[in-house]
Amino acid sequence: MLQIKDLKAKIDNKEILKGLNLEIKPGEVHAIMGPNGSGKSTLSNVLSGKKGYTVSGDVTYFNENLLELEIEERAHKGIFLAFQYPLEIPGVNTNIFLKTSLNAVKKANGEKELDAIEFLKLVKKKASELKFDENILSRQLNVGFSGGEKKKNEILQMSILNPKLSILDETDSGLDIDALKIVSDGVNASRSKESSFLIITHYQRLLEYIKPDFVHVLINGQIVKSGGSELALELENKGYESLS
Amino acid sequence: MDAREKEIEKLKDYKYGFSTDIENTRAPKGLNEEVIKFISNIKKEPKWMLDWRLKAFERLKQLKEPNWQKPKYPKIDYQGLYYYSAPKSMDDKPKSLDELDPKLLETYKKLGIPLQEQARLNGIAVDAVFDSVSVATTFKGELNKKGIIFCSMSEAIREHPELVKKYLGSVIPLTDHYFATLNSAVFTDGSFVYIPEGVRCPMELSTYFRINATETGQFERTLIIADKGSYVSYLEGCTAPMRDENQLHAANVELIALDDAEIKYSTVQNWYPGDKDGVGGIYNFVTKRGLCKGKNSKISWTQVETGSAITWKYPSCILKGDNSVGEFYSIAITNNHQKADTGTKMIHLGKNTKSKIISKGISAGFADNTYRGLVDIARNADNARNFTQCDSLLMGNKCGAHTVPYIKNKNSSSNIEHEATTSKISEEQLFYCNQRGLNQEEAVSLIVNGFCKEVLQQLPMEFAVEAQKLVGISLEGSVG
Amino acid sequence: MEQLKVDFDKVIESLKLSRESINFRKKNFNQFINNGFPNKRVEDWKFSDLNQIISSNIENLRFYTDLELGETDESTFIDKFAHNKIIFLNGIISKVDFSFEDDSKVLITNDLNQNETSKEVNPLVSLNNALVASYIRVTVKENYSLNKPLIIYNITTKKLKSTTINLKTDIVLEKNSSLKLINLCGDNSENNFINIVQNFDISQDAILKNYKIDHKKNSNIKYSYNNINLEKNSISENFIFSTGSKFMKNEINCNLNDKYSSAFINGIINLTNSQHHEIKTNINHLAENTKSYQLIKSVLNDNAKGIYQGKIYVDSKAQKTNGYQLSKALLLSENTEFDGKPELEIYADDVKCSHGATSGNLDEDAIFYLMSRGLSNQQSKELLINGFLLDAVEKITDIEIKDLIKKMIGIVE
Repeated sequence: MLQIKDLKAKIDNKEILKGLNLEIKPGEVHAIMGPNGSGKSTLSNVLSGKKGYTVSGDVTYFNENLLELEIEERAHKGIFLAFQYPLEIPGVNTNIFLKTSLNAVKKANGEKELDAIEFLKLVKKKASELKFDENILSRQLNVGFSGGEKKKNEILQMSILNPKLSILDETDSGLDIDALKIVSDGVNASRSKESSFLIITHYQRLLEYIKPDFVHVLINGQIVKSGGSELALELENKGYESLS
Repeated sequence: MDAREKEIEKLKDYKYGFSTDIENTRAPKGLNEEVIKFISNIKKEPKWMLDWRLKAFERLKQLKEPNWQKPKYPKIDYQGLYYYSAPKSMDDKPKSLDELDPKLLETYKKLGIPLQEQARLNGIAVDAVFDSVSVATTFKGELNKKGIIFCSMSEAIREHPELVKKYLGSVIPLTDHYFATLNSAVFTDGSFVYIPEGVRCPMELSTYFRINATETGQFERTLIIADKGSYVSYLEGCTAPMRDENQLHAANVELIALDDAEIKYSTVQNWYPGDKDGVGGIYNFVTKRGLCKGKNSKISWTQVETGSAITWKYPSCILKGDNSVGEFYSIAITNNHQKADTGTKMIHLGKNTKSKIISKGISAGFADNTYRGLVDIARNADNARNFTQCDSLLMGNKCGAHTVPYIKNKNSSSNIEHEATTSKISEEQLFYCNQRGLNQEEAVSLIVNGFCKEVLQQLPMEFAVEAQKLVGISLEGSVG
Repeated sequence: MEQLKVDFDKVIESLKLSRESINFRKKNFNQFINNGFPNKRVEDWKFSDLNQIISSNIENLRFYTDLELGETDESTFIDKFAHNKIIFLNGIISKVDFSFEDDSKVLITNDLNQNETSKEVNPLVSLNNALVASYIRVTVKENYSLNKPLIIYNITTKKLKSTTINLKTDIVLEKNSSLKLINLCGDNSENNFINIVQNFDISQDAILKNYKIDHKKNSNIKYSYNNINLEKNSISENFIFSTGSKFMKNEINCNLNDKYSSAFINGIINLTNSQHHEIKTNINHLAENTKSYQLIKSVLNDNAKGIYQGKIYVDSKAQKTNGYQLSKALLLSENTEFDGKPELEIYADDVKCSHGATSGNLDEDAIFYLMSRGLSNQQSKELLINGFLLDAVEKITDIEIKDLIKKMIGIVE
């Protein structure tokens, strides 16, 4: 479903990604690990279409050139980015935001939009599955949320939008062990033959809860090593230095 | 251009920009005693009313147009305007809606204002003002049963002279300032509301103003009196056709709340704003003032100002009665070359009076948006309280936002708090919304609606939905 | 106005001036004549009608004085505090002492013919331009920081009555230099109008700390206008202690001309009886990444009136501006008045600007809390006022001067 060939990305004339190659098939879970500044967040930003990067290379997503699509078109086609730092939007009710977002995606795909009642039912179901406090949904989007609440909110959105490719950018950062467990359960519950994951993380900890099919090591803008889930443990023990 | 772009393009046009081809009766062009007599005569007014108008006109000759406001405008040729224009079919006022010119009904249908029986479903009593006259007031019978008077100003002058004489000009005196005095001399029609003692008005009262004829100024006059212990919620909406000349709208609105009474006045102002290059559009120079005359009375202004080339108004409260409360909730959106200079005055005279001001200004394109306000606490206003919050949102660096609050406190037991912020929609917020599937316009509309939420919440349900859409539409094309 | 014309001619006669200088003064004089003292119909003077204040406090105002300069009253000097001095005595410079400094690094000019640097921004500045009889410009050379603070004393003697005196100082800080300045009023006179104009040009990387102190109770009417130009990465810290005069208006116009420059204006207005003081600021953010911060605390007793008018202007070029202003006022008696006009005018979208203003009495709950801990009502109030003022004083970054000002205010810790 996703083929990345020789992906390069520059920001302010500084090259961050320096020829990255990666292929993800439906149902696979890939983890990208790497030290700070290796280009992990740039990868997630470039895949979701954030402006400000000069990008070259090929990224094919379901036989389409992903790089030509607008941010929201990528979202409509099933790309979801769980933000490392979810944005606060004052005055905007979380529920209304979720509904607007879900219906925008549905509309773009020619599906029937949900009315308020159907939507509420869906949210309630997903929230209880995720052990997510429903009161949060009536609050302003991410405003005054704790770090853990923000991350849980991202996972709730993910499970409602039902994306084909979920990119989790450092979702484990700032989470205590209970929140980490809830977030991981949410991700695991969303795993299916059709949905793929790209998990970006600095630490191996998250991968104890979400078992990846593949682990890639990103250093200095390139994938320097790939392997199975055992690679994560190896990195934990030996550190990134052994590979650079 | 793909289908989506076309749709957006269509929405960008002013939805209410059509004009209706209706034969008009007009006063002769220009401003003089004869025209004032013509207006008074055609409305079959008693002599005291004509005298009042002429007194205002005498005063007007000595007044100068104010010029301290931020948005400047070319000199208005007051002699080049028509001060009265009415659909011909109104010459013999129809007895019922069935007798109304079908073209008029059609116009209001296009505007989404149902004058006919289906209005019943919405539970809103509507008074529609077309150019200079009130064309239809719905639900009269039902309101009469409770003793509520809801009619056109012309009718009130004839039928309820004792109330009009007592209260007209009691909040905005004849001599107040140039535009208010002009209105006093030439006002044509508007709505009159009286809620008797102890009555809670069972439905929203609404007036819909439309300027249709060319070279016409609209000078309506609205007077609302809430007697002791009564309550009323009043809505006002405005539209005008697209014309490339500037048209003047100088209304006066006076509210009077007696002991324990409450008036809630909401406006959604969507006069034609002019085109993208700032040609045409309405000059909206309006004087709105409420007097909390009785103890424990309350007046609450809510305004959503998205239209007009220039909006220049300060809906104000004079808090005279002890324990009275004044509120002002405002959203002013300016895009392209629009300009707004708006805010409020809260004059605390009574003890334990409270006021609250929430203002949200949004500026995009080449627009200029000013909040100007006064909180004045008099020496004897013990324990007065004010809270003011003014937030501005800028989109781009060709527009401006200006916050000018005047604060005067002469009472040591009182308390004033003022806060103001200026911000923008961040790239990150837009990216986040885009990533969740919203396009740029949807994302902006969502974020701006969030920014305005505290004010939108104040609007009655029926208006809130319309206003939210308007907020989105007015800013289209301003980002990206 | 007849008196004014006669006095103007006397001033011109008494000074040795170049033809250009005389023309400049005449132009300014005419500008003042056309406008007169500002009244409340002038927006900037809406809350302080100077024309009315002068006519009701000063009889037969004169604009020229030929008083003999007597001995300087040394009791005004701040002792146990090593400092450089410039002394204005009744508006005339009587002493300049930079004995703590390297005199090749601090240049002094007092040629009146070179005094044409003030733009005619308002009638009072014009009046100053027209009549000023003594002038000084201090230039601090590149990379030099003064060893000790400079105090400019503005001393008046008992003999001075019903007279306008005009003071003029220009301070130039060259690149990477720094100066700590105290402007100190020593009023021994009554019912005069004192009109002070100071210009500051602060070059790249230079730092000015400017403390303006009017602390001794007196019946004079004062106006002080400071114009501050800031270049790249320079800093201007200002503190105003406004408590002495019958009327005082401190106006600061500050231009942040280049990036990374910053301006701080903090101050205290503390008044009793029928005193009337105003602080007016204009901060103009004209380049990107500039910063301004203002905190003004007012304490009003008896019939006093306090005013804060603060404006932040952000040009469309000045992206990433950070502007903040906060004014808090305590009205402690029923006949006091506080007026405010905190204003923002913004033309750039990527900025952080906010202002706040509060006015009211002391928090009754706080008084109750303190009394429940055994303090008297009076003690409780004093403690709270102390804390209220301390907040602003703590913004002073020079520790020695902070302690000095704390002592003058009578703040205890």
